[in-house]
Amino acid sequence: MTALTRHRDRWISLGVFLVLALIWQVLSVVYTAEAQPGEPMVAGWQVLFTHTLLSLSDYWPGGWGVPAVSEGAPRSYLAAVLSIVVHSADTIGRLAAGMALGGFAGLLLGLAMSWSRWTRRLVDLPIQFLRTLPLLAMVPLFQLWFGTDYMGEVMFVAYGIGVIVFAGTVNAVRNIPPIYLDNARALGASQTMLYRSVILPAIFPAMRSVILLSLGAGWGAVLGAEYLGAQSGLGYIIVYAQQFAFLDRMFLVALLFILYTSVSYWGISRLSARMLAWAPPAQRQ
Amino acid sequence: MTPVADSLRPRLRSHRLRAGLRSAWIALDPLRLFGVVLFVGVWQLCTLMLPPIILPTPWGVVSRLSADFWSAPALSYYGVSEANLYGNLLYTAENVVIAVAIGAAIGILSGLLSARFALFRAVVDPVMMTAGTVPILIAAPFLLIWFGVGRASAVCLVIFYVAVILYVFAGRAARNLDPIYEQSARTLGATSRRMVRDILIPATVPEILGGLRIALAGAWGLEAISELLGAQSGMGKVLEVLAGATDPQGIMATLLVLGLTAIVADGLMALAVARIAQWSAPGR
Repeated sequence: MTALTRHRDRWISLGVFLVLALIWQVLSVVYTAEAQPGEPMVAGWQVLFTHTLLSLSDYWPGGWGVPAVSEGAPRSYLAAVLSIVVHSADTIGRLAAGMALGGFAGLLLGLAMSWSRWTRRLVDLPIQFLRTLPLLAMVPLFQLWFGTDYMGEVMFVAYGIGVIVFAGTVNAVRNIPPIYLDNARALGASQTMLYRSVILPAIFPAMRSVILLSLGAGWGAVLGAEYLGAQSGLGYIIVYAQQFAFLDRMFLVALLFILYTSVSYWGISRLSARMLAWAPPAQRQ
Repeated sequence: MTPVADSLRPRLRSHRLRAGLRSAWIALDPLRLFGVVLFVGVWQLCTLMLPPIILPTPWGVVSRLSADFWSAPALSYYGVSEANLYGNLLYTAENVVIAVAIGAAIGILSGLLSARFALFRAVVDPVMMTAGTVPILIAAPFLLIWFGVGRASAVCLVIFYVAVILYVFAGRAARNLDPIYEQSARTLGATSRRMVRDILIPATVPEILGGLRIALAGAWGLEAISELLGAQSGMGKVLEVLAGATDPQGIMATLLVLGLTAIVADGLMALAVARIAQWSAPGR
């Protein structure tokens, strides 16, 4: 792809998003049904960025010299922005903690299970089964096991990511060309040296897609965890907005979510592409 | 049929037979089966230390499954229209099949078009890539409020994600096709219809079918979660009801049914892929 067509494609995608925004606006004018009095089913942009944004200040718990709406203060844009920042930080914090925990545990277990062909065969069927269990349908179980507090939410995200990383690691180690391992062994490498200087670098290209996959699962899992009884976070806002059929608030939070997921995908894929600069180009995609 | 092809045929068949035997041996590998036994054993050990309300025993879950499969009168008290797992499984399976079929048609068509028409790709790519990153829990409430609680919302959601997955796979398969095949056909005077029939389809079908397997495996979970958020029946509704009743044994039995169904469906799909795409090496 030449620089010129890439430039053109960028303008086209911008145009596509503008057209989608315009269609949404036209829909809001044509389809004026209301989910409840004063709450349009399809909220136009002029509503979203005034009324809806202001209403998010309801979720501001107070502090930092900005009083909460629940304490009798009027709605303000400052409180709305603060509440977006605080709730986003909560969600992202849970995601990061869960990803770190699950990713680390999954990687360690996966490497341990790849020690020999025997251990790999031993864990093969149980992993396949765990991977087929629908993650989000397991939310009720985790709620029962770990409660609905911070711990439970992080454990759920960690489980979802851990299973993916575990299976991905075992698979990546299996796909290392045997000649690399044989060569290192023939030169007298011990098992720990083999891990450090052959296996870890060799699985990294394959782990990149595993990381991107687990990022998507992680965003889904953190929402799932917040759906069931969290007291903060973007999922909490969505659940309460849904109960009162505040479709405009749901839409605004959904837009925020799309922004976060896109930015996180873009950031991680850029970062990992840079870290993979040494790999042959075919492995870098 | 040329004599060469005739002489090749028996050898091909015996090769396929041997490959089938090998895959059966892999499935029955004693060490793998021992892994399953070990998994159940560790689970059983954990139940000795934890109360049954937290972790039910494996045997309890299996017996619960066999009891509830044909008749689970308790479910009818909670407003599930089908008071057994069998009926709910059928409802979920129907939705999954419908959604995967429609979503695959949309995704494959737009994926192939995107690989051949740069402008089409430039327009569709950003939409598909953005839509694909939206978590289902964000998209589901909108559909449930706009289209109401029922089959349509759940099927729409699953169609959406299946279409994105197959769009990616079909586009990649068609773009990775070495241009030399099409150039060669064109110099031999192939019409564009024959190019599609004889080159594009045979070359991309194996990879697309691989994508279809992944989409099918994911569709069970998506369907279950959208039923959990709002439906009158289906496995997701059963899970929601059992979660409300704090019944981990029932939840695990339902999850087990769902997982086993997904594994059986995936196995059937793998067999079908191997049969349909016999000409491709990875399809075998």
